[in-house]
Amino acid sequence: MDNFADLSGAPRPIKKTLKMRKNPLFQFWRFINLNLRMVAMIFKGDH
Amino acid sequence: MARVVVLGAGISGHTAALHLRRSLGKNHQVIMVTPNSKWNWIPSNIWVGVGKMSAEQVTFPLAPIYKRKGIEFHQALGTSIHPEGDKDHAKGFVTIKYTSPEKAGEEGQIEYDFLINATGPKLNFAATEGLGPDGHTVSVCTSGHAIEAAAELKEVIAKLKAGQRQRLVIGVGHGTCTCEGAAFEYTFNVEHELSLAGVRDLAEIVYLTNEYELGDFGVGGMSFAQRGFETNSKLWTESLFLERNVKAILQSHVSKVEAGVIHYEQLDGVKRTLEFDFAMLLPPFRGADIKAFNKNGDDISSEIFAPSGFMKVDANYTPKPYEEWSASDWPTTYQVPAFPNVFAVGIAFAPPHQISKPRTSVTGTLIAPAPPRTGMPSGVMGKTAAKTIIDQIKHGANGKVHGASMANMGAACVASAGAGLTTGSAAAMTMYPVVPDYEKYPGVGRSSKDTFGEIGLAGHWIKYMLHIMFIYKAKARPFWFLIPE
Repeated sequence: MDNFADLSGAPRPIKKTLKMRKNPLFQFWRFINLNLRMVAMIFKGDH
Repeated sequence: MARVVVLGAGISGHTAALHLRRSLGKNHQVIMVTPNSKWNWIPSNIWVGVGKMSAEQVTFPLAPIYKRKGIEFHQALGTSIHPEGDKDHAKGFVTIKYTSPEKAGEEGQIEYDFLINATGPKLNFAATEGLGPDGHTVSVCTSGHAIEAAAELKEVIAKLKAGQRQRLVIGVGHGTCTCEGAAFEYTFNVEHELSLAGVRDLAEIVYLTNEYELGDFGVGGMSFAQRGFETNSKLWTESLFLERNVKAILQSHVSKVEAGVIHYEQLDGVKRTLEFDFAMLLPPFRGADIKAFNKNGDDISSEIFAPSGFMKVDANYTPKPYEEWSASDWPTTYQVPAFPNVFAVGIAFAPPHQISKPRTSVTGTLIAPAPPRTGMPSGVMGKTAAKTIIDQIKHGANGKVHGASMANMGAACVASAGAGLTTGSAAAMTMYPVVPDYEKYPGVGRSSKDTFGEIGLAGHWIKYMLHIMFIYKAKARPFWFLIPE
């Protein structure tokens, strides 16, 4: 018998969230933001 | 003149060789010994495995790069290390067996002043009966494996288009596997491809993992601060599984794979089976098959290597309970204590313990994700070992010994969830540090400012940018060294 994990308690993204995840303008801003945060994180530690 | 030998041209070994060559004068030798003729940007094998990229897009021949940079290249497998030399060698040396078509099977010996063991993992498909391309499952560990996986996936899509229901199982093929992130990526890339092909509704996708809960990724999960709340990678990952209708089986050790049937055991000790039409299960890793001998020719492998085959370095390997594990147990210099001119970096070094809490099933089967030490941390380790060697060659024994601990190092993991310039998606995650430090960061062990995750098209762009950047860097194009590891 299969024993799949119960995921029913997980939050399901709303339509707006899904839309924003694909919105090129918003995602371009996230691209810049994520890259800057990653670079900051890299230089904070041993690198 | 000093001679540095690097065993293995993966991310850590190749990075080390390039930094050594850049900083050492031409009077010093840098020698690369690696069994493969090509370098592979392994993170992009995921896209080869769904047919989005060719093998040529994720690999390139090493020989021209090494010729241009002045690195002596031996396409060969390291078979033994003799750190004390022997009656014929005053210095340490390695024995090698050539794998290039011209010299296949020939053996050789190379003396060294410094040695970097960056041999990476042995893909231990043999640990699980029936696992792997020679068994009943596919893999994306190498570009060749990924090509086979893509071909098999294409057949599954054809069957789905013909109206046949198919079950695709993706995950890890043993209770002690690592690289759950890669299995996660492949799961969602396959899901994305099935949706694009218009056959998603006929396919059941199951993620089969040794993780205790989703979002563990072999690092014990992550806590994120988002919009004023503390959340975690478990909730975040479960949400993605729910959204994409991917099922998950957790806490599993795959014990055997037969044609169309996976046998697995969970922490409750119950042995179950799972039928499949397509299965991509990653193998567990062990150290490369390499022995070590002292100057008398006695086998000292058990002193140099851990039982897993990985090389013991400057870590605290004292066995102790999970509650007593500390960030300071993790190595910083990657030097072998008895032989400070020998280093092990990347997957080749033996981690002192897991990062995720190890568990055993009711029947005593170990179900414990191994710590990931690929990608970014691998590159940093290679560069750190290279910097120490460079300083010791330039300044003698007083040269600075550099350090970079995974307990003081961040890592970015961009897990693709589908390719495409405007349709792609990825889960971009960073964690700092990789190994939690509960003294520095009480509670969750990591910096909440520098540990974060986000899903969206931007993540796909980042993953593609990393693909371009790291292949550029690995090809040692102009100013390659400005790109961080």
